[in-house]
Amino acid sequence: MPETISRRTMLRGLGTSVALPMLNVMSPTRLLAAAGSNDASPLRMAFLYVPNGMHMADWTPVDTGKAYAMTSTLQGIAKYRESFNVLTGLTLDGARAHGDGGGDHARSVAAFLTGAHPRKTNGADIQNDVSIDQVTAEQVGRATRFASLELGLEASAQAGNCDSGYSCAYASNMSWRGSANPVAKEIDPGAVFDRLFGGQTTKEARRAKTTREKYHKSVLDFVLEDAKKLHKTLPAVDRRKLDEYLYSVRDVESRLVGVDRLQLTEEGVPDFPRPAGVPQELTKHAELMLDMMTLAMQTDSTRILSFMFTNAGSNRSYPEVGVSEGHHESSHHGKSEHKQQNIAKINRFHMDRFAYFLSRLHQVRESNGKTLLDNSMIVYGSGISDGDRHNHDDLPIILAGGGAGRIQSGRHIRYENGTPLCNLYLWMMRQMGAEGDRFGDSTSEIDRLGEVS
Amino acid sequence: MQRTIYLLMACVFAGHLSTAGGRLQAAENNGHPQLEAIYREKLIPLLRTYCWDCHGDDEEVTLSDANSVTDLRSNREVWVRALAQIRNGTMPPADGPELDPELRIQFGEMLSEVATSVDCVQDPNAGKVAMRRLNRFEYRNTVRDLTGVDYQAAGGFPGDDVGYGFDNIGDVLSLPPLLMEKYLDAAIAITGEAIYTPPAPLLFEIEKQAAQLDGASRFARGSTAALSSRGTVSLKTNLPFAGRFKLTFRARGDQAGDEPVKVEVSSGRDTKVMEVPSSDPQEYSIWLRLGRGERTIDLSFINDYYVQGKADRNLYLFSVKLEGEQQLTAPQISPDLPKSHRRLIFVTPDETTTADDATSVILSRFASRAFRRPATESETRRLVQLAAKVREDGGTFEAAIQVAMQAVLISPHFLFKVERSSVEVGGKSKALNQYELATRIAYFLWSSMPDDELLLMAHEGVLNDEKRLLAKVGRMIQDPRSNQFVEHFAGQWLQLRNLATVEPDSSLFKDYNAEISDLMRRETMTFFAGVMRANLPVVTLLNADFTYLNESLADYYGMDGVRGDQFRKVSLVGTPRGGLLTHGSILTVTSNPTRTSPVKRGKWILDNLLNTPPPPAPPNIPELEKKQASGTLREKMEQHRQNPACSACHQMMDPLGFALENFDAVGRWREREGGHDVDASGELPDGTQFHGVEELRALLSGRRGNDFVRCLAEKMLIYATGRGTEYYDQCALDELVEFVAKNENRFAYLIAGVILSDPFQKQGHRE
Repeated sequence: MPETISRRTMLRGLGTSVALPMLNVMSPTRLLAAAGSNDASPLRMAFLYVPNGMHMADWTPVDTGKAYAMTSTLQGIAKYRESFNVLTGLTLDGARAHGDGGGDHARSVAAFLTGAHPRKTNGADIQNDVSIDQVTAEQVGRATRFASLELGLEASAQAGNCDSGYSCAYASNMSWRGSANPVAKEIDPGAVFDRLFGGQTTKEARRAKTTREKYHKSVLDFVLEDAKKLHKTLPAVDRRKLDEYLYSVRDVESRLVGVDRLQLTEEGVPDFPRPAGVPQELTKHAELMLDMMTLAMQTDSTRILSFMFTNAGSNRSYPEVGVSEGHHESSHHGKSEHKQQNIAKINRFHMDRFAYFLSRLHQVRESNGKTLLDNSMIVYGSGISDGDRHNHDDLPIILAGGGAGRIQSGRHIRYENGTPLCNLYLWMMRQMGAEGDRFGDSTSEIDRLGEVS
Repeated sequence: MQRTIYLLMACVFAGHLSTAGGRLQAAENNGHPQLEAIYREKLIPLLRTYCWDCHGDDEEVTLSDANSVTDLRSNREVWVRALAQIRNGTMPPADGPELDPELRIQFGEMLSEVATSVDCVQDPNAGKVAMRRLNRFEYRNTVRDLTGVDYQAAGGFPGDDVGYGFDNIGDVLSLPPLLMEKYLDAAIAITGEAIYTPPAPLLFEIEKQAAQLDGASRFARGSTAALSSRGTVSLKTNLPFAGRFKLTFRARGDQAGDEPVKVEVSSGRDTKVMEVPSSDPQEYSIWLRLGRGERTIDLSFINDYYVQGKADRNLYLFSVKLEGEQQLTAPQISPDLPKSHRRLIFVTPDETTTADDATSVILSRFASRAFRRPATESETRRLVQLAAKVREDGGTFEAAIQVAMQAVLISPHFLFKVERSSVEVGGKSKALNQYELATRIAYFLWSSMPDDELLLMAHEGVLNDEKRLLAKVGRMIQDPRSNQFVEHFAGQWLQLRNLATVEPDSSLFKDYNAEISDLMRRETMTFFAGVMRANLPVVTLLNADFTYLNESLADYYGMDGVRGDQFRKVSLVGTPRGGLLTHGSILTVTSNPTRTSPVKRGKWILDNLLNTPPPPAPPNIPELEKKQASGTLREKMEQHRQNPACSACHQMMDPLGFALENFDAVGRWREREGGHDVDASGELPDGTQFHGVEELRALLSGRRGNDFVRCLAEKMLIYATGRGTEYYDQCALDELVEFVAKNENRFAYLIAGVILSDPFQKQGHRE
């Protein structure tokens, strides 16, 4: 008789720290997922953003279809060739100037997942639109403890003007819950771990909850009432601020139920050492964060994620791959051979991290016999195409993962240039089970992803 | 001649024009004779040439229907948009009439005059700050001043986004669920540290698969231990405390013979026999008393039974779990209470004071300080009720206080600087109440809550008394807490915070490292604080003949005679250094990783010292870059400036930046660069010539000194109020600059002037 035992039981039994992957018999999905959810291998989606566009000559394959030749940037993920599609011709019209002049970087991040044209302001009356991850999370996010997760490697800008007249809120956030509500990202993998797993480690001894730790709900209810009273007395500008507060209080409150459930059971706490803060080395930082994303997906803590390698227009240098000049500076190469080489190295650096992510997703086998990668839709790309030209058509976009059987991968698909990127998002959101006829500037759902060709 | 005038208006001098004309004495209903003339004689011809083809009568967006300035202003929103388009270079469109870049700037200035200059006599709008959340620095400071706990984890809150160059802008400070979660965690941690309550008991729990138990290898079948003959398996573990533990094992038996499967559980001290009567897997539990330390618990199958071909009794063990909870006895000696505990819990219940009464006094004081105004009776009452509920559930008096304080720490009245003196759109500006004003002052100068003295002054209503207010402000500047102002205002204004993220190429700049970077930052901070506390004239920031160094940084700068790690005031007389522009921090933060960037340095000066940011670069720059430029950096830049689309602003930026070429990309002095002597000469479009940092310094602190003061005043006003400045703030800025000038441009008067200004003292409305 097959016995389902807790994964922790087994790991402890082994007496060693066993890294992922796990056996499917222990899939913690069943306990962490919402009650009533019987689908043990749900579909996930994630969006990974890289700054400053690409060196497109090293990106775009010449041929289309299955037999295309790998380009040097794509070479980084060549191993998973059968698990992704290269999509060319997709366009982000909202990121274009439309009379607002400079600021392509900030604009393209703000537009990347929203398809909107963000209002140009350094602060007063910020206005963007709801992003695809949040629209989807709003509809189907209740199935998991976290409707969505927003992660990145770089904190918000610390000073100065982020991009000619745009507030840094645009440059640092691609997930937006409302038109004026960017969703801040977490950059500390240790903090992500704590959030996901309630600070639990696999240690045998831990401390019981003290009295003061048991009143989350009463305390939140208390301030909710405070806030409601205050709301009535405020002018409209302030009321918008308080609306955001109210939303967040309610959101946290609804999640506490899930946390309590997690603490009642042993299961689902992965045997993964808690990352100790933010590592100095970018490579390590990125990999830990991508590990956290894998864990979050694997434990079905969330099905919707976004991840920013850096903020918009990052001018970070990449000594990791021998590039001492800044990324943004190099992206405006003006045909300089040296700069073009640098930009290609940086593009490849990010791509190699993406390869790491794909490898993690590929290692996790789920209860339906497929890998986590098979059950995902992962978008990787930028809202700027050529970093030198700042154009927002023909974007560099990869769609990895099998979409739980919905996507035929291994191809380079060329769409008519100008096809809204939002067509892809609209399609993805519907695969996730969310409803809607339109998203951003979509004209229809994207086609050809499911075709065998 | 005409050309020179246009150039005069370009970039740097743009500020001038709006200053001079921005403040109109004529009342609105008397008309605008000067402006009417500008509008009719200058603007209309420009509009006709460049705009009316598409924006004439009856067009969707029409710019031809204003008969007078008053008329135009009644439709201000459209004109402000048009102005932005002209300044951005996005109108006229590429296929429209070409607008000369210099004329474009003048066009913008005139339109700005006509559409947005303000009538200062008519009590202009004081502006509306969107309700500001405490940013993470303010949060940490406030918590420290309120509870005595330094909550370092606030550094891990999601970053506060920046608007108008600062991270305390109401519109931009958002509060996503992630942050709310962290506020809740923080409240629990902070109250736990501030107020002592006995620690919670330890919990112990270990679970193993049977096959992994000691001695199980010979019975192992997968993860199961299949005992088909007498045998023992053992759970070995190290217990952190002594007490009662519950052992649970999951097992099933092949039943045969006249008794069920029996398992003997032995902990060394006790031995008990358990029956496993079921053929299906079930859990069996037993309580054991165990001591601390290494323990072994044996599980033995003791009644094997076997008749070949007929009967077979076996035990299948799947897993074993041991769990227990520490029994805490009350501590024999009461612990040393933290200072914060004694300060916060200054009353405890006794024969004459009920728990509710004591709670009420404690929370009323706590909430009043946290909300930076007296807590209302109903607020206190609700907090007391919350605490009472905790006690009813069995919590201690202290634990109940902790919970109620958590509610205060995540209350909107704590997390936001609530200003209820706000008015709705179109209303007349209203003075803030005294507590709101005290709060603004405290966060401006200390990035923290008001101290008791300031709250008391608010309570007494004496913050309107300018003399007493300024005396208090003077003390606040001298207080070490104003280091927070230096850290956050100067740190952001001068972009010192970005030092942490610039990465000069370590192969080119071997002397530069994280330590030097930090010392540079400290130099600038200490210098700024020195000028501020000594109440020196504001331009001292640019032309000081002193700075603050320690030995390492002095060595790095190539200066002798400074010994030791302590920063001290050092005279720069006889050296090329002096003033902010020669600080390593600023020179480094405005450079590229491998070389200096005169453009960035020039732009930095225009943005941060003169408040005349150049307009964004026009589109199609790559076209220019494709023509490979050659020669020295200066020669390449000069080639670029040939393009008229670039020249208008680069003629301003580049010479300013080139004057600093004697400093390399990490702030060290150099005479030669790339085999050539450094050429640090420059000429502005108006013909002003200067050579090197010394003459640039003289220019900025002398002839341009007033622009600098005004620039700093505006930046400070943004920081102090938490909103960007709008056109209607011109009057307040004029008054502010005048006030500072009357007081020898001394630093403390700049701060005082900001605090006395209408945008700081009042709430107006959004336009």
